[in-house]
Amino acid sequence: MTQDYEVEFVERSDREARFLVRGISPAFANGIRRAMIADVPTFSVDTVRVIENSSVMFDEQIGLRLGLVPLTTDLDDFEVGDEVTLSIDVSGPETAYSGDLVSSDSLVGPADDNIPIIDLKDGQRLEVEADAVLDRGREHAKHQGGVAVGYRHLQRVEVVGDKGEFEDDETHILRGVIEEQAAEHVDGDADDGDLVLTEEFDSDLTKRYPGKELEVHDVENAFVFHAETDGSLSVEELTLRAVDSIRSRADELRDAVQL
Amino acid sequence: MMVPVRCFTCGNVVAEHWEEFKARTREAEEPEDPEKVLDELGVERHCCRRMLVSHKDLVDIVAPYQ
Repeated sequence: MTQDYEVEFVERSDREARFLVRGISPAFANGIRRAMIADVPTFSVDTVRVIENSSVMFDEQIGLRLGLVPLTTDLDDFEVGDEVTLSIDVSGPETAYSGDLVSSDSLVGPADDNIPIIDLKDGQRLEVEADAVLDRGREHAKHQGGVAVGYRHLQRVEVVGDKGEFEDDETHILRGVIEEQAAEHVDGDADDGDLVLTEEFDSDLTKRYPGKELEVHDVENAFVFHAETDGSLSVEELTLRAVDSIRSRADELRDAVQL
Repeated sequence: MMVPVRCFTCGNVVAEHWEEFKARTREAEEPEDPEKVLDELGVERHCCRRMLVSHKDLVDIVAPYQ
């Protein structure tokens, strides 16, 4: 049984995206969210061999900081469990940055170059060899590719009438994305069916539909995802890999229960 | 001691913005409003913002006792 889903991007950049998916159940939406957090593997430093550390921090603290640095991950060329060695060698007085990490594989390297690891004073030195391993977010949070992944129902605002003449001008705050249904009541350009981010009107419905009595409803089975990545993968890659992981587990289950 | 690499709550990498944040809000001759600087750096959520706002570098203070 296959089913088509409709996906539409509302906002999109390399590390952050907002997209609408229609035709999925709440359970499936949550499945995607969980897969994006816990099931898409990324590289992260896991073991360090300290050759010299005369900084003010302990070896373990340096190891922790290196582990949290996001590393670019190419999932076509690596499998879970693969290791890549990185090294860092900085002498004070200088700050050691994530960009000082030298990788043995050009596909794997720090996603951000200016994360301070440790501030080294005169005469201090840090020389470390670090093994990065590809693993999943459910093993350790440092392997999570997705950051603050969430979703909301797509919402529909209905104009049910005019506000009474002497009613209070209270704000009507709504966050997320609305599907325009009452374009004729909006000042300026608007068409029915437009997807509008509530930030565009300051998340205050009274600014978009002044003087109207409103009702807000969720659109059934339509979810707006908001996803960010730490830089190890693009949002697109993260989402596709998450869906792939759900599919492969579903296939596995089907095969397992077949007679 | 050093600024945390990631936000404790959401896991967003915040350390990459620390040096610019520090330079503009604390070390500049005319310090800017931290709220404005964080907005410009793209540190949106309040969990990530507190990581930078509440941080103090202690390496210089600890270093003499090494």
